[in-house]
Amino acid sequence: MQSVGTNNFMEVVGVASERNSLSGSLPPKPKFEPLKAHEISGGQVQFRKVSVPPHRYTPLKKAWMEIYTPIYEQMKIDIRMNLKSRKVELKTRADTPDVSNLQKCADFVHAFMLGFDIIDAIALLRMDELYVESFEIKDVKTLRGEHLSRAIGRLSGKGGKTKFAIENATKTRIVIADTKIHILGSFANTKIARDSLCSLILGSPAGKVYSKLRAISARLAERF
Amino acid sequence: MANSSENGGGLEALLRLKSTDPPLFLSPSTDLSVASRLASQYLFSSLKPYTPKSPLDQLLTEGFDAEQIWQQIDLQSQPLISTIRREIKRFEKNPDQISKSFRMIEANGRLEGEIRGNGKVGLEQESDELEGLDDHTHDDDDEDDEEDDDLEGAPEEGEGRECGEEEEDDEEDDKGVESEDGGTGVEDEFLKIKELEKYLKEDEAREYGLENKKETSKDKASNVDGEEGDKDSAEEDERLALFGADDDYEEDNLENARYEDFFESKKTLRRKSKQGDDSDYSGGEDEREDDKAFGSQKKQVLSKHEEQLVKLRTEIEEMEKSNLDPKAWTMLGEVTASKRPKNSALEVDLDFEHNVRPPPVITEEHSLSLEELIKKRVTEMHFDNVQRAPKLPSKGPREVKELDDNKSKKGLAEIYEEEYAQKSGLISAPLSFSDELKKEASMLFKKLCLKLDALSHFHFAPKPVVEDMDVQVNVPALAMEEVAPIAVSDAAMLAPEEVFSGKGDIKEEAELTQEDRKQRRAKKKRKFKVEQAKRAAKKSRDTTLSDHNDGKELL
Repeated sequence: MQSVGTNNFMEVVGVASERNSLSGSLPPKPKFEPLKAHEISGGQVQFRKVSVPPHRYTPLKKAWMEIYTPIYEQMKIDIRMNLKSRKVELKTRADTPDVSNLQKCADFVHAFMLGFDIIDAIALLRMDELYVESFEIKDVKTLRGEHLSRAIGRLSGKGGKTKFAIENATKTRIVIADTKIHILGSFANTKIARDSLCSLILGSPAGKVYSKLRAISARLAERF
Repeated sequence: MANSSENGGGLEALLRLKSTDPPLFLSPSTDLSVASRLASQYLFSSLKPYTPKSPLDQLLTEGFDAEQIWQQIDLQSQPLISTIRREIKRFEKNPDQISKSFRMIEANGRLEGEIRGNGKVGLEQESDELEGLDDHTHDDDDEDDEEDDDLEGAPEEGEGRECGEEEEDDEEDDKGVESEDGGTGVEDEFLKIKELEKYLKEDEAREYGLENKKETSKDKASNVDGEEGDKDSAEEDERLALFGADDDYEEDNLENARYEDFFESKKTLRRKSKQGDDSDYSGGEDEREDDKAFGSQKKQVLSKHEEQLVKLRTEIEEMEKSNLDPKAWTMLGEVTASKRPKNSALEVDLDFEHNVRPPPVITEEHSLSLEELIKKRVTEMHFDNVQRAPKLPSKGPREVKELDDNKSKKGLAEIYEEEYAQKSGLISAPLSFSDELKKEASMLFKKLCLKLDALSHFHFAPKPVVEDMDVQVNVPALAMEEVAPIAVSDAAMLAPEEVFSGKGDIKEEAELTQEDRKQRRAKKKRKFKVEQAKRAAKKSRDTTLSDHNDGKELL
């Protein structure tokens, strides 16, 4: 296995070299052990690079160990921060158990960069079916100036209680970054949260959204 | 003598009755009744000598009511009246006897003139009283009727008939007296039928003389029974004829008042009926009489049998004729208003079915009974209030999960972890109390409750409401009262209609009416239109978005 240290963006570099032992007579049936994660890609190391936005620089510094530990220890992925390029780099190791770990870690770090908490983003590492959905306010409705500000205010609510209400009701996490909205959760829950947020953007009062949420949450609770 | 004193008292009573105002008789008074009784007794006893066969010695009034007193009087007066009648006939034959007998009695000088005058007056009174009489005449005898009225009224009301009675009684007394003075017993003569027959024939001759003079009088008398028989009418006529047959026109009219005077004769009626008027059937009698009169005029020497035959024949002829004639409108089948004379339906007693129950007559008792019923009901508090149909038990109120406004303390990972654990069954439903001891205690209590409930065959009383208790799982209270034991019961215990969350009644495709189908289609179209609009908006948005992105990338 050769590791190619490059400073490119998330490039996948695969070096293929295999030892061939071939004799004249028919060889016995080869016994292949299951491929390790990085061997699938031809024994090459895989990289992921996640850029860090400036406003997340300090929180990253603060929460570095919380990020590093689960990735390195449990997911068995190498992680480092490239200060020059302001990127977090992830790389598979030899003993990375699963090929998807790298992607999960990349998503985890990316979620953190979007603004989610570590404890929330950790769920990405633990569960497969969680997704992050992002959309902008202008995707829903073109708002300008005051209307936009008011819409953002409506989304969050007083002290963020509307946002928290949606989060608690739908078991998702929401990040409202100015005009961008990111929702983290399972597919169905994300959908519900998105619907609620869209209705808020379109102008429905919080009470209405609350009542809908109540009904939905009751239904969700009943299911389990 | 005691009699004389009684007589004196009776006379006094009579005079007193005569002097009292008629209206006073209308109100019952003991004075008047006592006086009346005395007067009746006096009269009775004074008439006693003329009725040797009467069983009563004197009128018994003590403790008897009007009806009984009347019956006693009637008992006495019936033979007396017949006697008097006979006497009158006798006097008719021999008018000289009257003057003779009257001259003998000097006490009542006024009677001479009175007889003549009284004849008229008495007749007038008779006719007056006849007018007043209605249903209680069982006789056609005037004097009888008079007595009826007088003595019925004696205990309660006298209408001035006492005066008439007085006069009549005087007359009767005199006649009775004179007949006695005359000598021969009246009863013997009465039984001679041949003489009566002879007299009848003579009377008939007189009748025809009277008939020519007669005119239809307008007075209606209560003696409707013109049909009663020729004899009665003949007697009546003869008696009337006695009192001045050849006197004034007015007298004639009154004395010879006949059936035809009061009711139209059949001849005139026949003429009218041909014109289409009502025919009064009661004119038949007169017709018959006419025919008979004419017949007898022609053949005076017919035997009785022949006379009967003639009568029959005339009757038959008349019947045949009526059969051939067009029938009266009442006898025709269906009659419209045009076929019958105006207002004729009012006179005929029509009989038709009333399909409507007659309205209840509101009497005092009826309303009283109603009030009683109301009072009883009110005391019993037994009202007929309309019971509201009980609403179906709604679904059990679901546990309302309040929205938490605060930032959740658990991380998303933890939430999903718990969810997964619940789903997989590693961790049971979230309990309100987390303490181990509490859990254990609740477990034990549940077991105990189960055993206790089994004791009462799982008939539960609903749990009392305790505010401080945190009941997580909300089971409808009604579920507790179901008969089914817990072990086999469903947790929800809701009927299908309670589980059903739709609205209204759901119609199948086949059941829809045309309007329903139209409505559904219109609804679908509306929805489709809305969706179309949405999609169009989305498309436009997407295009704008892509435009936007392109713009950005370029930058």
